[in-house]
Amino acid sequence: MLARWIAALAAFIIVILIGMITIGNFATGVDTGNFFDTEGANSFAFIGAIALVVGFLVYAAVEYAQTGGFGSIASQFDTRTIVLMPIAVAINIILGATVANALKLPIYLDSIGTILVGALAGPVAGALTGFLSNVLWTYVVPPPFQNGPAAAFGIVAVVIGVFAGLAGRAGWLRPRPNRPIGELAIGGLVALAIVFGLGIYAYVRFYAAGFEFFSPENTDPIFAVVGWLIGALFVTFVLGFLGLLFVRRDLTVAYVTVLGVVTGLVAALVSAPISANVFGGVTGGGTDFLVAAFRQGGADLQTATFQQGLLSDPVDKLVTFFVVYLVLAAMARRTKARFPQGERLLEQRDAEDREEGGWRGAAA
Amino acid sequence: MAGSGRLSGRQPVGGGAPDFLGRPGPTAYHRLNPLTKATLATVTAIAAVVLGGLPGPILLTAGAVILPALSARVLSRLLRTALLLALPIAISAFLVNLFFFPGGSQVLLRIGPITATAEGLGFALEILVRILAISGAVTLFYLTTRPGDLTADLERRGINSRAAFVANASVQTVPAMVERAAQITAAQRARGLDTEGSIWRRVRGIVPIVGPVILGSIAEVEERTMALEARGFTRPGRRTLLWTPADSTRQSFARWLLLIALLGLIVVRISAALT
Amino acid sequence: MTITLAGIGYRYAGASKPALIDIDLELGEGEVVGLAGPSEAGKTTLCLVLSGLAPRTVGGQIRGSLTLDGEDVDTWPMHRLSQRIGIAFQNPSTQLSQVTDTVFEEVAFGPMNLGLPRDEVISRTWAALSALRIDALVERDPRRLSGGQQQLVALAGLLAMRPAHLVLDEPTAQLDPAGTQLVGDAIERLAADGASILIAEQKTDLLASICSRLVVLDEGRVALSGPAADVLADPRLDGLGVAAPSPVRLRRAAEAAGANVARLAEAFSGD
Repeated sequence: MLARWIAALAAFIIVILIGMITIGNFATGVDTGNFFDTEGANSFAFIGAIALVVGFLVYAAVEYAQTGGFGSIASQFDTRTIVLMPIAVAINIILGATVANALKLPIYLDSIGTILVGALAGPVAGALTGFLSNVLWTYVVPPPFQNGPAAAFGIVAVVIGVFAGLAGRAGWLRPRPNRPIGELAIGGLVALAIVFGLGIYAYVRFYAAGFEFFSPENTDPIFAVVGWLIGALFVTFVLGFLGLLFVRRDLTVAYVTVLGVVTGLVAALVSAPISANVFGGVTGGGTDFLVAAFRQGGADLQTATFQQGLLSDPVDKLVTFFVVYLVLAAMARRTKARFPQGERLLEQRDAEDREEGGWRGAAA
Repeated sequence: MAGSGRLSGRQPVGGGAPDFLGRPGPTAYHRLNPLTKATLATVTAIAAVVLGGLPGPILLTAGAVILPALSARVLSRLLRTALLLALPIAISAFLVNLFFFPGGSQVLLRIGPITATAEGLGFALEILVRILAISGAVTLFYLTTRPGDLTADLERRGINSRAAFVANASVQTVPAMVERAAQITAAQRARGLDTEGSIWRRVRGIVPIVGPVILGSIAEVEERTMALEARGFTRPGRRTLLWTPADSTRQSFARWLLLIALLGLIVVRISAALT
Repeated sequence: MTITLAGIGYRYAGASKPALIDIDLELGEGEVVGLAGPSEAGKTTLCLVLSGLAPRTVGGQIRGSLTLDGEDVDTWPMHRLSQRIGIAFQNPSTQLSQVTDTVFEEVAFGPMNLGLPRDEVISRTWAALSALRIDALVERDPRRLSGGQQQLVALAGLLAMRPAHLVLDEPTAQLDPAGTQLVGDAIERLAADGASILIAEQKTDLLASICSRLVVLDEGRVALSGPAADVLADPRLDGLGVAAPSPVRLRRAAEAAGANVARLAEAFSGD
């Protein structure tokens, strides 16, 4: 079993290395909005996407060689999952369209369904839910919900679904209530360290001028607004996180936070080049204002979309993961347990299903 | 095959397959195989991005969107829908790029601290025609094809029945969920929920709607799963299709031609950029 | 074809006590058996076990045996069992497949899943539609029908699978009076045609009109069992939380008010 994952991971890394060496390009300081003008092309996302697909194919091939079938992939798609997927797709589309068109908030909220399916059913199921959501959102859903750019971001949804699926499989979304304060404090500190470490690394790259937001010499009013926005988000996040952690005394809050921020950063990385090169940084939602603000600050297209992504995506995915965690908490134990990965989302309890006295489970 | 004859009813009264299945579309374009129409839409959208610039996407839109729309007699609906679809993006694109284009030197307009530049205008127009081409192509597909027809066609070609089921069910679930949300909104309003007003109020107002909609839908999963399995859904393998759209070798040829043309375009563009 | 339950016990996943304890039941060809009992008595659970959904789809654990004409069906997958025993539920709208735009395709959904030849799918669909007299609805959108009509469509969808037995779990519980009438009449017709049905209901009037036998459950066990008329007149019904059918209640009320019921019955028996 492990062999498959190792082979897939190895293939993934090899493809990334080859890609980076031959055509890897992280272009900033450029303003052409087209992939095919090489100065404007950021190929890391493509390489990553291709690597993901290759890794998946290798995984499937190894599984086929080992077992003559695709059990671990097919098992993610039992009837229950098949029934949940359309509901998840609808949730993605409706919430995403409402937020983008009606509310104009600088977040997306279009991945709740993807992450829910990923957690309950597995990475492949989550990935397909996300992909299908984006494709249908563009081609088949009528206005006012239709969203033209969505299909191009299908690969981002795939990545999000995979992350959620793997996290669910690893048991990171299992509730861990009533832990001692010491454990909570350590968990909280580790989570915050990871989040800020990643955040600072990502932000420092793109926000060289960021800390000037608050400097008195900068008279541009847009920067004051964006600066305060960042500050407010920052404070809200820390307070909310600490509050949830210690009020609910649920250690999983730390896991969910890290998961949200990491997924958000990766999503930003994959989606920014698509946004910049296909749509010139504009997709019709509230995030466009942020892009405008960063462009005003002198950033080129690539950098501006990255900066916007690094702001919106982690917040968006953080909120989404928390919403999914709450939804999972609201679902009955019995309902969750029947899903392919459902067992890994349940609180650890003593084993109840005793198979004695002639009791038997389903044979078929 | 089991089953006492008692429950299977009397002799069939109706004849063969009812004729409302697979009712053909009003024009020749409508009657094209859905995969053909989908290929056209996708190739047009991708080509618009690959070409870049201004003349490319404009010609593409004229040939691959406007002309077929004329022959399918959906032009006016297409213009209305595609423009509606593209409007928010177009406005954003214009404003963002016209005014906030760094490094522009030819100033056209100055409003306070923000300036509009000619380079910005050029870039904004490029993005605009690209977006119009994409939304036009996609809208043409949407207006001339029933989603069920595309999934039926794909199922005939070998797509997994369950994948087709998910796609079909998703298409139905979106409007169903919107209706449910509207019902819940009405009910909540009757209980005094505030849905107008400031942004903060609206966000807060969403939660008591979104919660029941999401949780209500998820609660149905168990019942729906049982109902499906009671109707043979677990049987592996292909299922029977009552009707599939027609196809022709000419259309198959045309589809391959489109794909090869797109590939050629990509190759040409990449090599042009490299030299 | 006869279904036999012998010593059946069932426990839901994660439950400490079983929902069904030591149930013996037989459903033969052409029989209509009623299932009554207070809520949480195990009526729905028994329906799920009979149809095979428990434990296959719903999980949980089972003991005892379920046999069809003596053959143990423990290892049968759900799609095989669904061609012998059909089950309909309370909620009309969640039984729709959500992938069809017309009643015809909705009813054809089951046979399509079974991979039958196209002609057979079509003929079975027409047969099922006419058995439930909903031929006129073929072109309608199933989502836009009334609750009662949707239940008829659900029943037609089951009949198209050509099962030997039908299990109905409170089919009129979520319907308005018009729908209840519609579905009740349809079930009566099916019963009159010789269908083998097990119907769980709170509305004992319906049970009284079609069932030859009645089983009353209480806390997972069989409390009463026997010919319908006897069970429905049994005074212990009330204590079990089951309302007697209207004629019985009327008779009792009249007796309590002092009327001479025997003479009234004579006077009214002129038909």
